This record gives sequence, C-alpha cells and structure tokens, in this order.
Amino acid sequence: MIEFFSYSCIVIGIIFWFWGTLPLIGKRSVLFKLHSLSVADTLGSMSIVFGLLLKIPSEWPLLLLAIITLAIWNTVLGYVLAYCSSGGGEQ
Amino acid sequence: MDQIAYLDIILRLTIWFLLTSDFSLANIIIGVSIAFLLPRSYTSSGALQDWLRVLWEIIVAIPQAYVEALQIMVRPHNEEEIVRERVKPRRTPGLVFLDIFLITFTPKTIVLKYHEQGWYEVHRVRRRKKR
Repeated sequence: MIEFFSYSCIVIGIIFWFWGTLPLIGKRSVLFKLHSLSVADTLGSMSIVFGLLLKIPSEWPLLLLAIITLAIWNTVLGYVLAYCSSGGGEQ
Repeated sequence: MDQIAYLDIILRLTIWFLLTSDFSLANIIIGVSIAFLLPRSYTSSGALQDWLRVLWEIIVAIPQAYVEALQIMVRPHNEEEIVRERVKPRRTPGLVFLDIFLITFTPKTIVLKYHEQGWYEVHRVRRRKKR
C-alpha cells in the first residue's frame, strides 16, 4: 500500500516536471514560464522527495530538510528572477 | 529575550537536528551553543501572533499550491495580469519576506516587486480576460 502511494507521488512529480519544463521552449513571457516552473521545480520536486520519504522512512530527517529547502530556495529564486525580469522599475 | 527570539532559536535547533539526526549529549550541546552563538539581528521583530499566523498560512498553502497546480494543468490559464496587493499593517522585514514567500509559493501568483509605500506588485495568470 505504502509502495503504491510512494510510486504515485514520484510519478506525479515526474509529470509535474515535464509539464512545467516543456513550456520553457515556447514563446511566452519570462513571467509566464516562471509560473509553470514553480509547478515543476517546487511542487514536482517536493512530490518526488515525499515519495522517497514514504519509501525510505529511515532517512526522514534529511528528506524533510530537503523538502523544506526545496520549497524555500525555489520560491525565493523565482521571486528573484521575477524581480530581475521587471526592468528598472520606478526608480 | 522576546518571544520571536525563541522562535529563532527553535528554527536553528530544528535545522541542526534534521541535519545531524543525532540526539547524543555532545551533539545537543554543540547544537545549542551554535544556535546561541550565531549572530541575530536586532531589528524590530513584529508581534508573535503575526508570526504564528503566517507560519500557519504557509502550512495551509502547501495543499492549496497543489490544487492551483492541477487547475493550471487541467485548464490552460493563458491570460496574464499584474495586480497590486496591499501590505498588511505593522509588517517588519521578516514578515514581509514570509508574505512574499507565501504569495510566490502558489503557482498562480508571483511577487514582482515590493514597494516600500506598502504594495506588492503581483503577477498572476488567469483563465480568460475580464469583460
């Protein structure tokens, strides 16, 4: 049962990855691509690591730390990229 | 020491124990001394209730982020718009950081800029144009 949940989390994560990465080739704006990247990188990777957590619970401290840092760094880097993409601003 | 300082120490200890996953006496002593030795900022730190509320909102945001991801995937959100959101009153730099984190974490919204006059500039995807 846990095997099943673990593999479905990993598969969902991989689907998120591909769904978010393929639009990078398209012609949308940088910001639009950032939205799909936050699906792929943050949520997809978190789901994959969560699947691993179900599979090897003995390593929970490191995997939990991985999930937390993934969430923080991906989100903050997304913000930084969005900030940089938006030109000089009002100054 | 105010209450936020306790939160700060707890955060440091949590990261330390997750990283080392070792509860021997020596490791606890090292972790506690590092947590107290690391420098901390002495800027105004905001009210404890505000911090607890934001931390709770982050926990709630995780399932919400997955729901939004599924919504974007199932129905294409092709319209983009930039909206302004007002910053809640009494926000200190730490709380503003968590607010930006919270908005950017959900896939449909990204903070572009924080204006010190009290606005976030938020980029958002939508399904179709407003009429």
